[in-house]
Amino acid sequence: MNRAKLMLCVSAAALSLGTAVPTLAQEPVTLNIWTVDKTGQPTPDLAREFDESEPNIDVVYREVNFADLMSEAMRAYSVGRAPDIFAVDNPDTAMLAANGALLDLTDMIEQSDIINVDEYFEGPMASATWDGRIYGVPKATNTIALYYNKDMLEEAGIDEPPKTWDELIEDARILNDPENDVYGVAFSAKASEEGTFQFLPFVQMAGGSYDNINGEGGVEALTFFKTLLDEGLASPDTVSRTQWASTATFNAGNAAMAISGPWEINRTADEAEFDWGVSLLPIPSEDAQRSSAMGDYNWVIFSSTKHPEEAFKALEFFAEQDKDLFERFGQIPARNDIEIPPTGNEAKDEALQVFLEQMQYAQPRGPHPEWPKISKAIQTALQSALAGSQTPQQALDQAQAQIDKITGK
Amino acid sequence: MRKALSTLWDGRGFDLLLVGIPLIFLIAISGSALVYNVIMSFQEVDIFSLGTFFRPFVGLDNYIAVLTDPQAWPIFGNTLIFVLCSLGGQFLFGFFLALFFNMQFPGSTYLRGLFLVSWVMPGLVTGAIWNWLLAGDFGVINFFLQSIGVIDDPIFWRSSPDFALWSVIITNIWFGTAFNMILLSVGLAAIPKDLYEAASLDGANAFRRFYTITLPMMRPTIGALLSLGLIFTLQQFDLFAAITDGGPNNSSNVAQYWAWQLSFREYDFARGATVSVLMITLVIIAAVFYVRSTRHEVRG
Repeated sequence: MNRAKLMLCVSAAALSLGTAVPTLAQEPVTLNIWTVDKTGQPTPDLAREFDESEPNIDVVYREVNFADLMSEAMRAYSVGRAPDIFAVDNPDTAMLAANGALLDLTDMIEQSDIINVDEYFEGPMASATWDGRIYGVPKATNTIALYYNKDMLEEAGIDEPPKTWDELIEDARILNDPENDVYGVAFSAKASEEGTFQFLPFVQMAGGSYDNINGEGGVEALTFFKTLLDEGLASPDTVSRTQWASTATFNAGNAAMAISGPWEINRTADEAEFDWGVSLLPIPSEDAQRSSAMGDYNWVIFSSTKHPEEAFKALEFFAEQDKDLFERFGQIPARNDIEIPPTGNEAKDEALQVFLEQMQYAQPRGPHPEWPKISKAIQTALQSALAGSQTPQQALDQAQAQIDKITGK
Repeated sequence: MRKALSTLWDGRGFDLLLVGIPLIFLIAISGSALVYNVIMSFQEVDIFSLGTFFRPFVGLDNYIAVLTDPQAWPIFGNTLIFVLCSLGGQFLFGFFLALFFNMQFPGSTYLRGLFLVSWVMPGLVTGAIWNWLLAGDFGVINFFLQSIGVIDDPIFWRSSPDFALWSVIITNIWFGTAFNMILLSVGLAAIPKDLYEAASLDGANAFRRFYTITLPMMRPTIGALLSLGLIFTLQQFDLFAAITDGGPNNSSNVAQYWAWQLSFREYDFARGATVSVLMITLVIIAAVFYVRSTRHEVRG
């Protein structure tokens, strides 16, 4: 073999190697992302944009029904086919984290230039934290406040929306108008997570909590709810109606006030044929501490992922888009550093500001790995007191006994 | 050997093959799930051990936990009321309609066909429609009852502990009546007309003809229908999900819905399985009745 030929061989080998090496490195990584988001909600779009911005990462998105979200993910996890990234309903985060199903993100977040713990609202961040470690990044957030029909209040001679529980009851008595099918207030005490979501903030405002539910605070809150139903200030259907359905009665002018979340801002703006506003949730007394519910999801990475770095990169990409979250998808970012630009609709913009203020008082449900069972005990107490089979104290005592058993006290 | 093989397409072997194939399918599809469910009811299962087969064995703990749960007996009581009233209502309305359309007036077959609409609709759709009819404040049923003066104040069908279960029962009767009617119509059509003619000649009046001919001749159909009805009623889940969610305060909760709540709301799959095993036992008893009643079926 002469020299020239040898060189040719070597360069050919080098060439083939040179082409082979990059292809190996460029073998795209596939990330599986599961959330409940449908078209028009954030994830499908964000996932596609991330996919396009990263040539080395392929993103496969799957939409899962809310009702099947946890069981689907856990079935997949237990046979080793969990998605890399998942959006978990915030009260369920602790359950996954406590069982080792989630990747501990604490160190990655510390080193990240994009995700900064201090820039998140406290409540959402707390829901993503378990035992001092961070397992998730809040995806968005929401809470509840009081919608009110400005026209009705004005007509009844009420200058401003109620600030305390007593004022709310008083105003509801004035606004209640059975002749014209108008209730004072609408909310949901349904036997599902929605019921807990609406009731628990009232317990917390009065000084109670999920693990101290039968104290004075809990009883006061439940008595307040019961007064609204017993006096007919809220529809008896409150115990079986979703938040969505109860807000619909407000939008239709059949309730003067409604306790609901920012997810209704757009619908109320479209449907309501009256002047409306939103105010902070009334508190038990002028000097009581505020509290509010906290909804929405946390981004988490399953501990079984083979591509933790790429998955975290995706979370960083999603967090970067938080600034446009309200504008593009109508959802509130779980961040305190983002100024949401006005939409031009005065009622909407005012409402948003109230929700942002209320957000600061939002507290997560739990966190506790057995949250679904605790929540069930709370719903049972709520329902049995409102349906009249037990007094608030009896109902909450029973709930407390059950919760103690669950939390092992 | 050759002889044994040849029976596969001609003779006893062929019969066995015919029985064997569906049996294998049955065991593979239903049987394995059933056995898995029974095993699960003796284990401790949470959402994290759902995918594994070997889980801590807890003996009868789940059964004790289910049966001592303060919710259990009210829920079983509701299940009994739900099953008996739904079954009775569906059967009586179905029988009445079947007899009515059996009179064969002009257009009766078409009208009878229209009744099937209710059976064809998915349960969730039926539930959503009845939800709207039964609504407390602005429901059609309340409006109707109020305008004919039966009630003064609206009844909160879905939210009152006294009415919640009944709102599902009423819906379920509406839902299942058509199916009962069709099966009973088929049974009625199979009764030879000359029996009635002969009875009429002997001077039997309508009631007597019904009591001595129709009912006895319909016995196998009725037996089969009631057993099937029991199974369908115990399966009824959609209407609860759509109308009351088992509330308020469990006043309309039934075993099948509770099993689902335990499994998919509280993620306590073992106890969910336990409740369903208890229900399967009931259904097996019903199935035995069903098989016995079809055994007596008159062959035409």
